[in-house]
Amino acid sequence: MRLHSGRTSWLRATVSVFLKDTRIEWRSRFGINLLVLFVLSSVFILVFALGQDTVERNVIAALYWIVIIFAATSSLGRSFISEEEGGTVLLLQTHVPGSAVFAGKLLFNLVLILIANVLASLAFTVFINATIANWPIFVVIVVLGSSGLAGATTILAAIIARTGNGGSLLPVLLLPILMPLLLSVVHAMIAALEPGSSWNDVGNDIATLVAYAGTVVTASVLLFDFVWKD
Amino acid sequence: MDKLTPPVSGSRYSVIRAIIITWMTLVILGAFLLDIPRMNILEHTARNLYFHVPMWFTMMSMVLVSGIYSARHLASGSRITDIRARESARVAAVFGVMGLITGILWAKFTWYSGTSVWWNSDPRQSMAAIQLLIYGAYFFLRTTIDDNEKRGRIAAVYNLIAAATVPFLLYVLPRQMESLHPGADGNPAFSEITAPIMRAVFYPAVIGFIAIAWLLYRQRVRVAILKENLTSD
Repeated sequence: MRLHSGRTSWLRATVSVFLKDTRIEWRSRFGINLLVLFVLSSVFILVFALGQDTVERNVIAALYWIVIIFAATSSLGRSFISEEEGGTVLLLQTHVPGSAVFAGKLLFNLVLILIANVLASLAFTVFINATIANWPIFVVIVVLGSSGLAGATTILAAIIARTGNGGSLLPVLLLPILMPLLLSVVHAMIAALEPGSSWNDVGNDIATLVAYAGTVVTASVLLFDFVWKD
Repeated sequence: MDKLTPPVSGSRYSVIRAIIITWMTLVILGAFLLDIPRMNILEHTARNLYFHVPMWFTMMSMVLVSGIYSARHLASGSRITDIRARESARVAAVFGVMGLITGILWAKFTWYSGTSVWWNSDPRQSMAAIQLLIYGAYFFLRTTIDDNEKRGRIAAVYNLIAAATVPFLLYVLPRQMESLHPGADGNPAFSEITAPIMRAVFYPAVIGFIAIAWLLYRQRVRVAILKENLTSD
């Protein structure tokens, strides 16, 4: 990978960071394996815990997003710690603008969360007999919810990489901040599971999710340099 | 590290403190002794209005102060702004906890009397609880960073990210939860249910509690500066 500071446009720098992470991930497959196993094992815990009774839609919606959020905290928390451990922070700092590092990592994390969603929706359909009745709504809220989740997780992953004890801190910092997202996305998810629901039922939630993702990403881009630079 | 100059605790401060103490003594006397109209369910618990509601106003004003100092800390990097952000967050958390406790007890002795309900998922209650969780995370985050300068910066970033997300709750929560508070969900507005005599105690109480918060905050900042000057070389 060649990076020419100054001549590299912001977009190319972002794509380079994204491709670098993808390539490293492809070599070790650590993050993706963690994600797959986490989603599957937590869904199986749910299968045994819920038993064979029919589960209410609002319970399924809540459990689904709890699984996604904890999958995100367990596998995305390392995005910046790995740079610290590998001693590559200085290299990135000197060659790539801070906002491009953030955007590249954000893109990579978003892809991972979307993969987690694909897995979780399959696992919920097969093992918990959840029926997604309204696919367009489901896809839209998954994309919007994942964007907000990726934004919040990426900036907090950068924060915890600067602390003494790494990944264990992430859920504590992340969950209170995610509350507005979680509330809207679960509410919209119930509509997506319900046959005969329409866009009118989720209008408010979608507006909130768009605004939340926009706010978190904007605030993160503005504040990222304070975390990233010494 | 540069020595911080402690704020001078001059005679003016003592005068202001004396005024606030007298003010609050009168407010508390008025809160317990003045006769109030008895309302159904509420009865004498209505007096909690003078304590419960000002707690929230005080908390919100200290949350605002904390956010402003976090932003100023990122802009200037000066040590004192970080101390001010931290101490105002601490005072906000204290008032938040007291607001939650007074609220829970109030609901327990009125609407939920005789039931096992303690927590009623009211929008304002939930929002306060989330703000307290955020401050819990904020103080916890501070303990994990050793370097003074880095700790201030990272904590300020977290405080501001949190400050950007909390206002969403104002929009989201009322759509999903029912409220016990006046002025929400078709409940009667605050001005309709409070007698003039109650408002005459309530507004001074708000001012008084905010003044107490300011006293506490100012003293905490002073102690923090002295402590820092003693421990650093």
